[in-house]
Amino acid sequence: MGNTHWDDAGLPVLTDAERAGMRDFWDVYEENYDPIYEELMREVAQMPQFGAIVKRMPKEQLERQSREGRERGRAALLEGAWKPLLDDQRAQGAMYAAAGVRFREWFDLISGFNRLIVPALVKTYAADGDRLSRALLGFQRYIDVAMSVLGEAYLDTKEALIQKQQQAIQELSTPVLTVRDRMLLLPIIGVIDTRRARHLTQQLLQAIRANRAKVVVMDITGVPAVDSKVANHLLQTVEAARLMGATVVVTGLSADVAQALVTLGVDLQGLNTVGDLQGGLEEAERALGYRLALAGDGAGGDGHGKGRGNDGHAVPMLED
Amino acid sequence: MRVPVLKQGACLVAVFQPGLTDAELLALREDLSVRVGEHRARGVVLDVTALDLIDSFGARTLRGIALALRLRGAETVLVGIQPDVAFAMAQLGLTLEGVDTALDLEEGTALLSRRLAARRHNGR
Repeated sequence: MGNTHWDDAGLPVLTDAERAGMRDFWDVYEENYDPIYEELMREVAQMPQFGAIVKRMPKEQLERQSREGRERGRAALLEGAWKPLLDDQRAQGAMYAAAGVRFREWFDLISGFNRLIVPALVKTYAADGDRLSRALLGFQRYIDVAMSVLGEAYLDTKEALIQKQQQAIQELSTPVLTVRDRMLLLPIIGVIDTRRARHLTQQLLQAIRANRAKVVVMDITGVPAVDSKVANHLLQTVEAARLMGATVVVTGLSADVAQALVTLGVDLQGLNTVGDLQGGLEEAERALGYRLALAGDGAGGDGHGKGRGNDGHAVPMLED
Repeated sequence: MRVPVLKQGACLVAVFQPGLTDAELLALREDLSVRVGEHRARGVVLDVTALDLIDSFGARTLRGIALALRLRGAETVLVGIQPDVAFAMAQLGLTLEGVDTALDLEEGTALLSRRLAARRHNGR
């Protein structure tokens, strides 16, 4: 951050002229404080969101805020103690952003302030053109500092919100389901990027240990595009699972995806793939030693092998 | 010797301790190769539950142990790789090709006895 406008601590770097101008501005502001404050509050009350918030605030709180703000402003502009003022503005920015006040209302507020303070400045320093322009520039710099701090607080708040949502989406989007004892299903839906692949793999590995899983069916029907990068992620997941003693069956590679991968020359020798989820589940059950048989008429008919057709239920039986 | 090796029926179980050095790992290979002959062991379980890191040297040596023991007539199963370790190994491409793995000691011994039963069945 350290440059000609801001120091490393996030405080503004001012020229002597700016400091002098700010002092002149502040003197005029203090002189006209009460009428300006009252007029501004009238304007704020007209603003849709600001107005609603201010109306809800008790009168004493508003007055305290105004008094404290005035003291902080005085300390910053007259004595150079900017930190308390900017910290407060940062906190306010975060609060109003969270409350849903649009950023443009701050500019509406500033233009109202401009309309009130500029004539007062001009009237006071009309005799001295240099001093007037210095005061106007100092005032402008003060507003710029305040608005950049406020703006950044807004952005930080929104960014934190986005991050939180991203995390929520990520957790929602990678469930690990137990289908049978020692058998997990990992349905993947949506785009896989490096971050998600990492998260997914870690979740799967934890689930393998927690459920003592031996077979995992990973269904990628819902993954829109599988390129060499995604394929590589899948391979890594499969390898990591194998290191923990679990076998992974990948299902749901569509015809398009399969052809695309072959065209790309991606080597998927390490993947155990089955066409669809049904086939994958059957394969996983076989690996665990289950055998499907029809209940009812077909019960006990061992020759049936995998029960299929009719309306009979497929009943898993442990074959030992 | 840093890695205790226990005899369990026809199997040997090597329990890795945290903070294993490369030299101790190499010594284990030597030790196991000899002991497999002494005890006429048919299977060996390498339990790495306590390791929170397996680097490329570790992975290569573990694979080397498994291959050497196979030449000595014993099947080897590697058990207890932790999720984080498995993830890091997969990312580094340390896949321990040709080495059997299982979740934990219990799974590993079960896998070994299936392997040995199949071997007897095949008359080997």
